[in-house]
Amino acid sequence: MDPSQTVREGLIPLLPRLRRLARALAGQVADADDLVQIVLERALTRAVQWRPDAALDKWVFAIARNAWRDELRSRGRSHNLFAPEEAGASATDGASAPVQKLELTAALAALPPDHREVVAVVLIEGLSYSEAAELLEVPVGTVTSRLARARAALQAYLGNAA
Amino acid sequence: MNPIDEITLQAYVDGELDVASAASIDAALAQDDLLARRVHKARELRAQLNAAFDPVLVEPVPAHLAALLHAESPPAAARVVPLAKAAASRGFGADRRRGRRRWFFPAVAVAASIAVLSMAIWWQGRGDLLRVQEGQQFASGALSQALDQTLASEPDRRARISIGLTFRSADGDICRTFVTHAKPAMAGLACHQPAGWSVPALSTAVDPQSGDLRQSASALPPRVQAAVDARLRGDAFTAKQERVARDAGWQ
Repeated sequence: MDPSQTVREGLIPLLPRLRRLARALAGQVADADDLVQIVLERALTRAVQWRPDAALDKWVFAIARNAWRDELRSRGRSHNLFAPEEAGASATDGASAPVQKLELTAALAALPPDHREVVAVVLIEGLSYSEAAELLEVPVGTVTSRLARARAALQAYLGNAA
Repeated sequence: MNPIDEITLQAYVDGELDVASAASIDAALAQDDLLARRVHKARELRAQLNAAFDPVLVEPVPAHLAALLHAESPPAAARVVPLAKAAASRGFGADRRRGRRRWFFPAVAVAASIAVLSMAIWWQGRGDLLRVQEGQQFASGALSQALDQTLASEPDRRARISIGLTFRSADGDICRTFVTHAKPAMAGLACHQPAGWSVPALSTAVDPQSGDLRQSASALPPRVQAAVDARLRGDAFTAKQERVARDAGWQ
């Protein structure tokens, strides 16, 4: 089978996880799915670069993370991609979404990108610290220190930091 | 006793500590209320994040995304290159309406309708397996039914949901692991509470393409295994205990 066919078929079962990761990074449903579309297109055009001995999920998550960083860069570093209220308001689907969930997604959207991505890949996607370090191209110590600061910020935001 | 720093505490909560260090924290927890509260808060945050984002896993995938992966004819595949360039220069979030209109190319439209059909069939078989209540996700529909009724000791090959371990958690609730066989296969942990079966962990089941040793060493995805490890005290139920628990309404 040619590589693009292998990658195409391998990506189908990964779509739900890719959408979850994109939602955690980009916040809003529509922006997250636009990010997913860019990621799928990049993955298909770069299919020949994927080595079958590498895990396809990590490979495509790295593409997603880099595409998201590219987008942030093109919009300028100085401001957040979305206002926290806006990101929280539709980050999850359904008008009856519980208040707690909105607060949490807003808090996540308010984190600096370095912190948001580590929360997304470790706490939401469930990668190990070493897998996250490889994906984010930083040392494991950086993953753990960013994660600790991100946790503190989220808990403070939620009023849990007593 | 030395105070436990945040980095060590979070490594404990995330299942990243070696066995000996984790055991020493386990022991310290029993005597140190402040430490127990810190661990509880860190677990709670992780659970809240999972409750907020895991439902995305069971949302229907938009047809235009599924269509990208189902396009089979060479002309449709060849169009991927200009689309990628267009999307990259457009950026996500920018002028979405113009972006979507590209899907009216005939070959892609055919692929999209096939994808819509296959997703619709897939979803019909699935039903709503989760509901969210007060920031917590609970099993619903066929999943809730399987958790209520299925015994791991009496497996049904035709069932769409299988049950793995049943055990009583450290909190006193009865918890069960499950796997749904629809594609993509999902595995999770559910714990019985007054409001229903809460689902503290849900993950796509082991991806056969993944070369990850840790995943292939265990039948459960790592995050589900971690959720089990965090709750399991003692042994999983025997077939007899499982039946008795079911007959008692999983109390």
